[in-house]
Amino acid sequence: MIRYVLKRLLSLIATLVVASVVIFVAIEVVPGDPASYMLGLNAAPDTVQALRDELGLNASKVTRYVNWVSGMLSGDFGTSYTYRTPVSEMITERIGISGPLAIYALLLSTLIAFPAGIIAATRRGSVADVSIMGATQLGVAIPNFWFAMLLVLFFSIQLRWFSAGGFPGWDQGLLAGLKALTLPAVALALPQASILARVMRSSLLDTLGEDFIRTARAKGLTTRQTLWRHALRNALIPVLTIIGLQFSFLLAGAIIIENVFFLPGLGRLIFQAISQRDLIVVESVVMLLVFAVVLVTFLVDVAYAVVDPRLRAR
Amino acid sequence: MTLLKVENLQLSIYDNPVLHDIDFQVDAGQTLGIIGESGSGKSLSALSVMQLLPKGSKATGSILFDGEELLDKTEAQMCSLRGDDIGMVFQEPMTALNPVQTIGEQVAETVFIHQQVGRKAALEIAAQTLEHVELPNSEFPLSRYPHELSGGQRQRVVIAMAIALRPRLLIADEPTTALDVTTQAQILALLKRLTSEHNMALLLITHDLGVVADIADHMVILRHGTVVDSGETGTIFKALRHPYTKALYEASGHVPERSVKHMLPEVLLDVNAVSRDYRLPRSGLFSRPDSFRAVDQVSFVIHRGENVGLVGESGCGKSTLARAILGLEKLQEGSITINGEQVLADMQMPASLRRQVQVVFQDPYGSFNPRHKVKRLVGEPFYLLDSPPAGADYDMAVTEVLESVGLAASDADKYIHEFSGGQRQRIAIARALIIKPGLIVLDEPVSALDVSIRAQILDLLAALSAQFDLSYLFISHDLTVVRSVTDRVLVMKDGRIVEQGDTEDVFSNPQHAYTNNLLDSVPVLPGADNP
Repeated sequence: MIRYVLKRLLSLIATLVVASVVIFVAIEVVPGDPASYMLGLNAAPDTVQALRDELGLNASKVTRYVNWVSGMLSGDFGTSYTYRTPVSEMITERIGISGPLAIYALLLSTLIAFPAGIIAATRRGSVADVSIMGATQLGVAIPNFWFAMLLVLFFSIQLRWFSAGGFPGWDQGLLAGLKALTLPAVALALPQASILARVMRSSLLDTLGEDFIRTARAKGLTTRQTLWRHALRNALIPVLTIIGLQFSFLLAGAIIIENVFFLPGLGRLIFQAISQRDLIVVESVVMLLVFAVVLVTFLVDVAYAVVDPRLRAR
Repeated sequence: MTLLKVENLQLSIYDNPVLHDIDFQVDAGQTLGIIGESGSGKSLSALSVMQLLPKGSKATGSILFDGEELLDKTEAQMCSLRGDDIGMVFQEPMTALNPVQTIGEQVAETVFIHQQVGRKAALEIAAQTLEHVELPNSEFPLSRYPHELSGGQRQRVVIAMAIALRPRLLIADEPTTALDVTTQAQILALLKRLTSEHNMALLLITHDLGVVADIADHMVILRHGTVVDSGETGTIFKALRHPYTKALYEASGHVPERSVKHMLPEVLLDVNAVSRDYRLPRSGLFSRPDSFRAVDQVSFVIHRGENVGLVGESGCGKSTLARAILGLEKLQEGSITINGEQVLADMQMPASLRRQVQVVFQDPYGSFNPRHKVKRLVGEPFYLLDSPPAGADYDMAVTEVLESVGLAASDADKYIHEFSGGQRQRIAIARALIIKPGLIVLDEPVSALDVSIRAQILDLLAALSAQFDLSYLFISHDLTVVRSVTDRVLVMKDGRIVEQGDTEDVFSNPQHAYTNNLLDSVPVLPGADNP
């Protein structure tokens, strides 16, 4: 088990190194000089040159890569070209919204999907199964920004339970923060929960058809005991995979929902940075997202081994 | 005293009658064998007793267990009977255990769902029970997981789960079918011991007459959901009064008629000091990975027209060797030649060589693409030819080969799901035959088939070999079958050939202790010649 975790850790580090190189090179080949972009069209060449020096853009590529990576390792992500503020501050602020939002949405999605998937699988072909499957079909099909707007129309404008957008900041108290994130989290969770419920159902159906389920029944377990004691844990592997993928997606892919609800999250930050050629911000945020994705993959791998002893030997 | 009495049992699944008026009974301490081919309803009869029938089933009649009607019991009442008074063991030990729970937990579970005992006490009983089924705790601690055990060991765990609470009735559904002969003999001996020690009744379900002959006091023979013959085991075998019983008996020991050796002196396959290593996972993070030698310095030849058997237990390297001959495994040592041309692994193997050797696999259900018609499936090896037949020639070649394996030309336009297991195996043979190879590797070709179908396929193979001067490498764990269809036999153990020689010599006068052991484990049909 320890060997398994160590091996995963090694591959995590290797992935990060490769990813950092790829990101750095990709940003390098993108056209557009941040210095001339910042100074505008009419800037004098020597002013641009001076700014390039100041930003460290004239150093060799290798030096710049090493500086970037070692800076990140010590928490220094550089200074934004556009806003002239430390990138780390901008990221911390944004992640304070995107992180909780992703976790909130994932929790909601899991809390909806598990019971729905289990009910659908254990009562296969029943009215409950058919309605749950129909609902998930709809959940996957509806664009989440449209669903978000419906939520706003109903809960904010009609009922006035939630504000229609914006974020008061965590200093206004946990409850206020969570309240502001509720509608976006629901909008994000709907398609995710639908997918997860379908995966849960089909995985559980497969497991319920296995021989060891029959063995358990022959031991005298009731159907309910068989489900809880034998089927669920075995059905969990594909579900964990999907949860891992969904978390990564939610962290960075919430940009549309962030826009609908005027949330200053990571997705919006990176979008703005790209359009303003604020390459240092783009680099850092993308690297951070890669780190989050790789970390989640690592955690999912460890979870596999906890669930399934057969994987521990690998 | 009669423990289980089944009378007029009728079963229908979604109004489709599958069992008709089944009657049988078994006394405490006695063993009843239920015999039948696939689809005869033997497993459904057992599941009726357990009330673990598939969805849509409706059973009528009477199943009296210790004087109580099981068909009237509620699900909750059945739950308390199952595992406590009636235990059941299934066919497939590889999948019958929960892969994510330790064997200790799984055996203990039987105890604590039926009795008010703590976890510790339940695990204590589990430990005793595992000892009882000959899995000593010193070697197999409770913390083992199923994937760390062999098939035979897993079957012992399944048996331990079934007998942990000393049930009065044990139902064993093909408990040894998936196991090697030697393991089969051990498991049967264990079941026999347990029934006599605990005065337990045993319902032994099998398709193998040899298995019941040795262990059952009474037997029931089922066909198409009806009891066709029943009685005391010795009497049934002596009288063979029902034609179906007789047919089954004859098919079980069937020896195809084979013409006197039509073998030619020409060497077709030459396997010379072949070894195959598999890399094992690294033991340390940076240590060199160890390797496991699956095939170790194996040498033999097959002449044109010769049928050679390869026997051995699972894991002995039979299939690896077969794959090496087919050019699907890289060799670490030695060489394989077919007709003097060297076999190279994977993509390097030229088509000219590939078309000289074809293969038939064990599982007729898994070895066809379900979306292709038989015409395409059978004609697939044509791509190995330089100028494959097209159009009418193609159809004619397919028709010809289908007819030579006993199918009709019209079968060419059907899909594979329209065929039974035996027919599929004929199609597999047709596919191997269509480009007239010199050698066909048959990897357990009849193991998945019922005895009567098996007899037909063996006859077909013998006839084809004589007709086309075909050589076979016939791989099987079933010694009776190998004896009936081969000229020469190789006995393999732990990657090595421990004995080889003319089939009759090896079987009647085995030289190696291992061969002897294998032969002793084969269940013998009473009255029949030795296998």
